[in-house]
Amino acid sequence: MRIGIPRALLYYHYHPLWSTFWRYLGLEVVSSPPTSKEILDQGVSAAVAEACLPVKVFYGHAFYLAPQVEFLFVPRLVSAETGTYICPKLMGLPDMLRHAGRKLPPLLSPTLNARCGPRAWEEALTRTARVLGFSAGQAKRACNAAAAEQARYTAKLGEGKTPLDILSEGKEDKEGGQDQNLGTQKALLLLGHPYNLFDDFISLGLLRRLRARGYRVTTAEMLSSRLIAEEAARLPKALFWSLGRLVLGAGSYYLRSGGVAGIIHVVSFGCGPDSLVGELLERKARRAGQLPFLLLTLDEHTGEGGMVTRLEAFLDMVEWRNAS
Amino acid sequence: MRAYLGLDVGSVSTNLVLLNENGEVVTGLYLRTQGNPIRAVQEGLAQMEKQIPAGMSIAGAGTTGSGRQLAATMVGADAVKNEITAHAVAALNELPKVQTVLEIGGQDSKIIILRQGVVVDFAMNTVCAAGTGSFLDRQAARLGVPIEEFGSLAERAQNPVRIAGRCAVFAESDMIHKQQLGYPVEDIVAGLCEALVRNYLNNVAKGKDIQAPILFQGGVAANVGMRRAFEKALGFPVIVPRYHAVMGALGAALLAKRAVAGRHSTRFRGFDVSRWRFDVSSRSCGGCGNQCEVVEILGEGKLLARWGDRCGRWSSFVLEAAGK
Repeated sequence: MRIGIPRALLYYHYHPLWSTFWRYLGLEVVSSPPTSKEILDQGVSAAVAEACLPVKVFYGHAFYLAPQVEFLFVPRLVSAETGTYICPKLMGLPDMLRHAGRKLPPLLSPTLNARCGPRAWEEALTRTARVLGFSAGQAKRACNAAAAEQARYTAKLGEGKTPLDILSEGKEDKEGGQDQNLGTQKALLLLGHPYNLFDDFISLGLLRRLRARGYRVTTAEMLSSRLIAEEAARLPKALFWSLGRLVLGAGSYYLRSGGVAGIIHVVSFGCGPDSLVGELLERKARRAGQLPFLLLTLDEHTGEGGMVTRLEAFLDMVEWRNAS
Repeated sequence: MRAYLGLDVGSVSTNLVLLNENGEVVTGLYLRTQGNPIRAVQEGLAQMEKQIPAGMSIAGAGTTGSGRQLAATMVGADAVKNEITAHAVAALNELPKVQTVLEIGGQDSKIIILRQGVVVDFAMNTVCAAGTGSFLDRQAARLGVPIEEFGSLAERAQNPVRIAGRCAVFAESDMIHKQQLGYPVEDIVAGLCEALVRNYLNNVAKGKDIQAPILFQGGVAANVGMRRAFEKALGFPVIVPRYHAVMGALGAALLAKRAVAGRHSTRFRGFDVSRWRFDVSSRSCGGCGNQCEVVEILGEGKLLARWGDRCGRWSSFVLEAAGK
């Protein structure tokens, strides 16, 4: 049996868990290739116009995989940690996809909702595996293997690697990686949702460009979840969007502790949660007044001009400040 | 005598500035790009060649604006800079104590915040071009007012009417309604200026710490009505520099001067470029699913540069690009 996992949305956070789970059970796991113009065009033409670009990209990846697999893995992601929620568009993703009017293989859509308890993800994955005829014991062992793989992934992120670096390990055209010894003046904090930052096509090569200019790039994924939780607890009111919490937690950590020369926040045009989180972060950054801050809004552009101009001006500003 | 040439190739206008060794403007030219940046650059060079004083030779050239790469490839540039940095450099040259730069060009608008001679924050308009030069042009034409008289007409207003400034489409229909009710044209024009200033302050300058001295740059700064509206809204005097319309080009010339300091060579190809034959061709690369649109620039039949690909397969093959 072949199961397809689209390389989009929270794939960038959870692919070790998801692929290992199915692979352990003996399924052949197929991921879509990195986003290309074809994939984007496919997604944009089928998705409702109001959907954000990352959702449209997800459609494109799902359509790409559809003819090659017997099942598509499209979890209904409700919550990744207790007390938080993922964006409603991600919760409704399997339903939206089913009604996109394309012929799709059956979707496997366990409801992943950490609010139902600490073992809720495992239970949901187990139920889905049972539907395919696997025993509870087999599913349990697969869950353990998957959790171990995910823990290894988290550890690698903690070493300063980005999801993109880890994904390309062992590949011929692997990411150059970065010099971890570059000091504060050559370090930048790159904040945003993982499916924007680590999708080279959608981010117009942002990560590559920053590294090519000689910067070490830090992302929120590299900080421990405990640290993010501590930072988030400093907010006057708990932020329940988990990706927003990650962005804001990492942002406030670096605004307090220093260690980077500037902050770039990448948002999708029309992102609801980020309209709030982005504003909170920008105000925090301005109040702190120490670090240059850039808000980059991404949409369907393939012309890089607007992004490159803002990025160059931002780096000039960082270098100008460093020198003065 | 050594002189420095700055080119600002924007969406609406192409500007050239000739600077002497003391950083003073010898000649400033303002041309319409009219969708053909190559022709505009050549025309600008031809005009500049006629105006350059005897005994003066170009010791350095710099380009900026959205067409900066193209212009640099054509003329050979020692400095290629984004328009934010170029405008900031020119503003600091004009007034070293400047703390805020308001810039409104043909299709974009920006704000630059400086403190102690260093850029600390900036923003550009994102999705909306309401309130930029092209919109003012269009409204002036619709009202039958020459754009040059737009500002002085606004100054004569007794009682500016309120126009919706959030969106160019709304502004236009609001203006038409007010016209049909019989309001004097000067009150409508002044109301439009106030609406555009409101829109700029709410969208572009959103939350920025605007402090005097304030410089107002870009083509729209010629409009006295806009300047008055800014002064009214901000409560500070707004200074319009003498060369406000060509400040980007001035900044590029200053950056070229810095780039060649201590050197006795320039990449500038000379004014002959205005008589060269330039050809461009574009094609879709079939190397992968991205199908990048690759552009080739040829001067006198020789390949000068290629760009538009994501992977570098074509663009790394550059024979005589500005960077070499």
